[in-house]
Amino acid sequence: MTSHKKSAGKITVSFIVLTITLIFLFFVSVNLGSIKLTFPQLLRGLFVEYDPDVASVYDLRFPRILISMMAGSALAVSGVLFQAILKNPLADPGLLGISSGAGFAAVIATALLPKLYFIAPLFSFLGGLFAFFLVYSLAWKGSLSPLRIILMGVAMQSLFTGLSSAVNSMSGKNLSGVASIVEGNITMKTWNDVHILAIVSLIGLVLAFISARWCNLCGLEDKTVRGLGVNIDKVRLIISIIAVFLVGGCTAIVGPVSFIGLLVPHIGRIFVGSEHRLLIPFSAISGAFLFLLADTMGRTLIKPYEMNASVILSIVGGITFIILLRKNGGIYGK
Amino acid sequence: MENNISFEIKNLSFAYEEKTILHNLNVKILKGKITTIIGPNGCGKSTIFQLLTKNLKNYDGEIRFSNEPLDKISLSNFAKKVAIVHQNNTAPGDITVEKLVSYGRIPHNKISYSSYNENDEKMIERAMKITGVYSLKDRHIQNLSGGQRQRVWIAMALAQGTKTILLDEPTTYLDIRYQLQILQLVKMLNKKYGITIIMVLHDINQTIKYSDEIIALSSCGEVIAYGNPQEVVNSEMLKKVYGVELDVTEYNNNKVVINF
Repeated sequence: MTSHKKSAGKITVSFIVLTITLIFLFFVSVNLGSIKLTFPQLLRGLFVEYDPDVASVYDLRFPRILISMMAGSALAVSGVLFQAILKNPLADPGLLGISSGAGFAAVIATALLPKLYFIAPLFSFLGGLFAFFLVYSLAWKGSLSPLRIILMGVAMQSLFTGLSSAVNSMSGKNLSGVASIVEGNITMKTWNDVHILAIVSLIGLVLAFISARWCNLCGLEDKTVRGLGVNIDKVRLIISIIAVFLVGGCTAIVGPVSFIGLLVPHIGRIFVGSEHRLLIPFSAISGAFLFLLADTMGRTLIKPYEMNASVILSIVGGITFIILLRKNGGIYGK
Repeated sequence: MENNISFEIKNLSFAYEEKTILHNLNVKILKGKITTIIGPNGCGKSTIFQLLTKNLKNYDGEIRFSNEPLDKISLSNFAKKVAIVHQNNTAPGDITVEKLVSYGRIPHNKISYSSYNENDEKMIERAMKITGVYSLKDRHIQNLSGGQRQRVWIAMALAQGTKTILLDEPTTYLDIRYQLQILQLVKMLNKKYGITIIMVLHDINQTIKYSDEIIALSSCGEVIAYGNPQEVVNSEMLKKVYGVELDVTEYNNNKVVINF
């Protein structure tokens, strides 16, 4: 009984600390750069009267910060969903090749229909679905071996990343929209991108939260779930569509980003456990934090140059992935 | 008479790709009894279990449950009538006993199984008390012994409130103390609560001791014997089932197979 209460307390504290840290990081990030703002100045500039410094921060830094946070949330939560339905703690939309599939479709859409930039998320959603379907069906041999699905994903990632780079080179790297997706560059993002990503990630995150109980059931054996009268195949299909939707939406804006969907759920389980009604919101907040941290570091560490957040995430994520591989070799649960 | 029948299997054949596992099987399983399926490894015990629990499809012949064709019963309706305890169950290590047992109420609730009503709560508590895991209800699954864990899985099945429970090798991987605990629990569910039990077991003596009826399969998936174990178990039948010579003797009016 006491251990139960203690863990509930630990969970509440984790949520509060994480949220405060994210808010703090947000203001740090707003203030990093050539223009410095005090907190009251920022609030007045935003809500009371026009201030040229606040206005340029609002137009230049805000979109980038908000996009980082939303993309981080969406990718982290999609990682949670993929890990649940595949019973595989090494699942990540990047490693599964879904991000690169989505990215390739977004590249095609941006190259062919540059005027219709707002339908790029739809294309990348379809591209992501296609990549997921390919990985799933090619890795299927009577059952899904965790390792086989990761290997197939790595192959798919390499294939679609290559195709995207090919399109980028063929266009002479002149199409900035294509290049920014391929390189995962979010420096030139505008409020339009914010709006698109806000809609997609809001819908996706709400759906993910609604599916939390189903995700919990995925932690049991398939036959056990079936014995409870639940059609597990249908559940898995619905959750994977939600997960791909989240990936598709943010890949169209920020390009394929790996590892955040791998890292965050693992951190989340340490703090709040495997209950998805807690893990999903916690991962959403920590995903936002991690991506924003990576982006903020990327634009300050090597001034006057910049590093993309996806580069930093790749380095940190790659190391973590190796540690995880060494630790559990892909076995889920007990 | 007909409504005395739980599962009825008629002319059942089943093949995995090319390989025939079951060939022309005919069995009636009685309500209110403990029926145990035995046989050598690879005889199709598990296949029958998976067929009866709707995990395998595409069989030839007929399987009826309560006089209704099994493939006409939806998964969710079936879960209201039959509970299953599979082998090698897994769950996230940090799930509590109570939470896991509460999953047994899923068949009786819509997708919104967030809020359990009073009856659900009562069934969950009852299941934990009958199986003796109530005192562990706030413990995490990963901190339980193998025997306790198995009782939790049985509690989850019991919470479904069905009149029939199927168990696939419920004593495997348990030491003898836990094996007996589980078998006594299963026997109690049958005798005290009138639950029809259908299970797969490996140990022939435990089968004789705890079963009302046995279904003995040969290695080619044929029924060698069906009926009361005290009557049908003998050296000749065991030779046909397992292909080895075994002596059968008696101890306290129970048949005992000398398995060494």
